[in-house]
Amino acid sequence: MTPRQVLVWIFFWPVLLFVAAPRWVPFMARMVLDMLTKVTVWRVAFLNLLQHRRRLMVLGSSVAFVTIIMMTLLGIAEAMNRTLVESSTTLMSGHVNVSGFYKVTAGQAAPVVTRYKNVVDVIKKTVPEHTYIVQRGRGWAKIISDSGTNKMFGLTGIDVKSETGLASVLKIKEGKIEALEKPGTIMLFEDQARDLEVKVGDGLTIQAPTPRGVNNTLDVTVVAIAQNMGMMSQFSSFINEKSLRQLYQLNDDATGALQVYMPTTDLAVLRKTQDKLREALTAGGYLMMEEDPRAFFFKFENVTREAWTGQKLDITNWKDEVNFVAWTVDLMNFLSFFIAIVFMGVVGVGIMIVMWISIRERTREIGTLRAIGMQRPMVCATFLAEGSLLGLTSTVAGAVLAVGLAAIINGANITLPPGFQFILMSDHLNVFPTVLWTVVAVGFITSVITAISLIPSAIAAQLKPVTAMQHVG
Amino acid sequence: MPNNIVSIRDVVKEYRLDKVVVPALRGVSLEVERGEFISIAGPSGSGKTTMLNLIGCVDTATRGVVEVAGQNTGTLSERQLTQLRLDTLGFIFQSFNLVAVLTVYQNVELPLLLQNKLGGAERKKRVMELLAAVGIDTHAKHRPSELSGGQRQRVAIARALVTEPSIVLADEPTANLDSATGEAIIDLMKDLNQKKGTTFIFSTHDHRVMKHADSVVRLADGKIIGKESADAAVQHALQSAVDKAPAPAAS
Repeated sequence: MTPRQVLVWIFFWPVLLFVAAPRWVPFMARMVLDMLTKVTVWRVAFLNLLQHRRRLMVLGSSVAFVTIIMMTLLGIAEAMNRTLVESSTTLMSGHVNVSGFYKVTAGQAAPVVTRYKNVVDVIKKTVPEHTYIVQRGRGWAKIISDSGTNKMFGLTGIDVKSETGLASVLKIKEGKIEALEKPGTIMLFEDQARDLEVKVGDGLTIQAPTPRGVNNTLDVTVVAIAQNMGMMSQFSSFINEKSLRQLYQLNDDATGALQVYMPTTDLAVLRKTQDKLREALTAGGYLMMEEDPRAFFFKFENVTREAWTGQKLDITNWKDEVNFVAWTVDLMNFLSFFIAIVFMGVVGVGIMIVMWISIRERTREIGTLRAIGMQRPMVCATFLAEGSLLGLTSTVAGAVLAVGLAAIINGANITLPPGFQFILMSDHLNVFPTVLWTVVAVGFITSVITAISLIPSAIAAQLKPVTAMQHVG
Repeated sequence: MPNNIVSIRDVVKEYRLDKVVVPALRGVSLEVERGEFISIAGPSGSGKTTMLNLIGCVDTATRGVVEVAGQNTGTLSERQLTQLRLDTLGFIFQSFNLVAVLTVYQNVELPLLLQNKLGGAERKKRVMELLAAVGIDTHAKHRPSELSGGQRQRVAIARALVTEPSIVLADEPTANLDSATGEAIIDLMKDLNQKKGTTFIFSTHDHRVMKHADSVVRLADGKIIGKESADAAVQHALQSAVDKAPAPAAS
């Protein structure tokens, strides 16, 4: 769920209401007009809220509480998203990637881009706004330890001297990342090292099929063990670039992927860049793969099933390459809204009851207002404005408190238990409430409260003046 | 322009309480001329409030015709009736019915804001003039809860008159006031009636209030039993009070 989708929903529900009850359209339109143009509506609503301060405090606190919960969850999701972007664009992807498969026979596929320097030239010409381009070897191999344990990992061949970003993101727990400069070296993550029962200095054997379909093996030494980075560190390991070429028996002008780093991570911008590159590479005579927004290792099965041979290029963005973990961020966003909606349901019932009480208490006032010439839509607007004001003030207060809470949580540097580290992709609890999500949370909760207030407000407006004025109690 | 501002012909009003039909007005007819200061008198349950509600367009007749300012209220939509009330009628209620959260000034200004005809400066001038006319201008920033009963009723009168309506309806305007304040309120209404020519129709069963009216319409059991001068009506009211008084106990 993106902020844009939520904002569309906020502005869309009144339209749905109009479609569902067309008979009410003129009434609603006049009511909205009154809310927009009549100061009296807001004056009466505001003064009534002030008059009942205790009620305002109780309801307002509940709404603020829901806002804090929602914004904290969204802030955690945002922190996950940032970690995801940062780690994915460091560990396994650029902002945009030009990769591909090379097939010697129809049934043998290797994640290789041949004569990559020519491709780099096309990229530089087509995307002059790029920040820098990195080439990385890619592979999927079985890693066997001396104890006989083995695991399948994604292999990334790197030239550690040119990978400045990697060193700043990874937290090395044992050994040195710079040691990857030497051929025959590998860097693992904590869990991988634990599963393979190895430490720095131990040897491993890597076994992988070459593009020609022959299995090759390579002995490597563990030179560094990095702290886990959530789910993604389960799949990635780094070896010396030359060693990867040796393993896969690749020429010097072949690589796994060209990772293009851009000034932005905005997917809308990146998709346009992808389109431009696709067009330019096609014009340059390269065969392109069908668009498939998944990590390269998920594509093997399809590619090997296809009849073509030779080179085909593939263009992806960072989100495509981490799609298999990105769902956790989407799930977190969804959970934030789901939990907020559940809480809002409970608080909403309270708000509706209080609105009923308010209407009962003010029935004679409604009758008087109707008698002296206030039209029904304006009566409705007055009560609705009260709900909106309650919602707006409480959510804004809640948002301010949530930002404060986020600052405290981030400052406290709370270490997460291992299970949470895996899901939240970080060893510490981080909460980043962005301006956009704050606006969305405030708008969403205020609109829900306004919607809840609509029913009692409409009923108040339907009261006959004579009945309302004769009301006792 | 017809001289009759209110015309009621053969009006029947019935209320349904479950399966029981309770008649409140049983075929009443009445003509009220522009500028009249008329009282509707009668005991409780005689139909005074119902008649004011029908004239005030806050309720509709079961049968018959109610014409207010030349418009047959039975043919108007809810929206048109509300507009008629806003432009043509002013209301003074027994329990004042001021908006508790608004100040005196804001209460009086409210109908003008609903009309949306005057600019800010004109509105302020009109409100302050009226507050001065009813002698409450020094309390403009007070809330109704900070005022006495008589002061609240003065605010209600100012609110009823602020749109310069053709008719002001007052339902027992002095019932919640002590006799001296009640007299003062009626004097004020009478004064405004004479100066501005506004038609006042008020219900009462108090003979001290009745005596100020140009004429008194007497109601009993939902029927008009007579329209007479204020003096005659007061005599009737006093006689009725004597008749109802318990006989002195034998010594």
